[in-house]
Amino acid sequence: MKQEKPMKYRNVVLLIAAMAFAITAHLRPAQADPKGVTPQAASASKLDIRIPLQDKSVRFAVIGDSGTGDRAQYEVAQRMEAYRQATKFDFVIMLGDNIYGSHSPKDFVKKFEQPYKPLLDAGVKFYASLGNHDDPDDERLYKPFNMGGERYYAFRKGEAAFFALDSNYMDPRQLSWLDQNLKDSQGTWKICFFHHPLYNDGRHHGPDADLRSQVLPLFQRYGVNAVFSGHEHVYQRIKPENNIYYFVLGNSGKLMTHDFGEARERLKGFDSYQSFMLVEIAGDKLYFQTISRGGETIDSGELPRIHP
Amino acid sequence: MKLQACRSWLSLSLFSIFLFSCVIAQEGDKDAVKEFQDRIDNYLSAKKKKDVVQKPTDSPDKLAQQKQQTAEKSQQARPEAQRGDIFTPVVSAYFKKQIKSTMHGPEGSRVRASLRHAEPLPNVQLKVNAKYPKNLPLQSTPPTLLKNLPPLPRELQYRIVGSALVLYDMSAGLVVDFIPGAVPAA
Repeated sequence: MKQEKPMKYRNVVLLIAAMAFAITAHLRPAQADPKGVTPQAASASKLDIRIPLQDKSVRFAVIGDSGTGDRAQYEVAQRMEAYRQATKFDFVIMLGDNIYGSHSPKDFVKKFEQPYKPLLDAGVKFYASLGNHDDPDDERLYKPFNMGGERYYAFRKGEAAFFALDSNYMDPRQLSWLDQNLKDSQGTWKICFFHHPLYNDGRHHGPDADLRSQVLPLFQRYGVNAVFSGHEHVYQRIKPENNIYYFVLGNSGKLMTHDFGEARERLKGFDSYQSFMLVEIAGDKLYFQTISRGGETIDSGELPRIHP
Repeated sequence: MKLQACRSWLSLSLFSIFLFSCVIAQEGDKDAVKEFQDRIDNYLSAKKKKDVVQKPTDSPDKLAQQKQQTAEKSQQARPEAQRGDIFTPVVSAYFKKQIKSTMHGPEGSRVRASLRHAEPLPNVQLKVNAKYPKNLPLQSTPPTLLKNLPPLPRELQYRIVGSALVLYDMSAGLVVDFIPGAVPAA
């Protein structure tokens, strides 16, 4: 009973302080960056942002092997939304295994629409590539995956050209399409993404050498700059090969802990928690930041464009 | 002199026999591929008569509905379907030969490694004109192998399930035909 009065006063003081903070924050003019990112948005949630948020840059997120529908996927999605508010990335590339297991209508909701609802509601576009757990026919026709009814397709964002490939079935028709589209591309950055990694230190699957023998000559001939793959349920930044940067991100839902053997191909590896990536392309630089489910930045850096 | 002439004659005869058998084998391959392509054409024209146009949609319910309708119509298009309708004995023998030569050829080690790295599959029962087993992860079909098999129309794919080579109808989600034991252990 004796403690009741001080507690009441403390609550009143706290309430007034909170109101004063809210009013001043509202009245203070925001120093918005060209994409509308306010310092408040970035600092309020104390996010560690390592990409530069430059004017007219291309900003996107990357997820791979995400579609489990379990808690880890939802937590990664929440983390992505926090970073979207701060960095204003406006699209996401998906590296396959977008929907695991059953592909009933309920699964599309539970394993995609629900976890990424805040992002979808904010107008973020998702561009999917197909993994070995995906149903090519369902997913290529599913509009929110933006595949235009095709197993493989290309799109352009600013100075960057993106090529989503179907590594489950790299038939001569797809190779010829890739040859033609890379040749015709006017993008200063050429980025390919698909499920099966060409280089991979993970022990569960390893690299796909046969796929590499078919696509790498095209990547080299037409100056592909960066390649993103999934499949191995870890994060890896691979040593650049033939002037091409490689990332493996197959842990945005699934996770394979203790998956690494000797570091042969990788510069950085992470197999402790789920993660996603933020990428920004500005001029001749590609900036990246890989963030764990718990919010820790596990890798970041800037990479120059090597190809002319 | 006589012995030398005899030897030359024998070598020439053996070489001619070898060349002749190569030509015969090539002709045999051409016939098998032609037979395969004719049967694929027949399959597609029978299917086309009952085809459902599948359109991109926002609705997962509509997706499921479209796929179910396409599967049903395709199944109705060939109610008597059975194994060997497309992969006849001649065609099967050709495919087995192509797969074997790819897996033991100069690029064979890469193809075998690709197959070894695939997701392990449960024991799967395949059935012609039935739906492709649900929730089964796909074995990526090695690109080098695809280069050595006859090309397919867009709606059909070759799939490897265990040691079987499956002809898969992507739009209907159906097993069109399969060759058991076509793919040697990697």
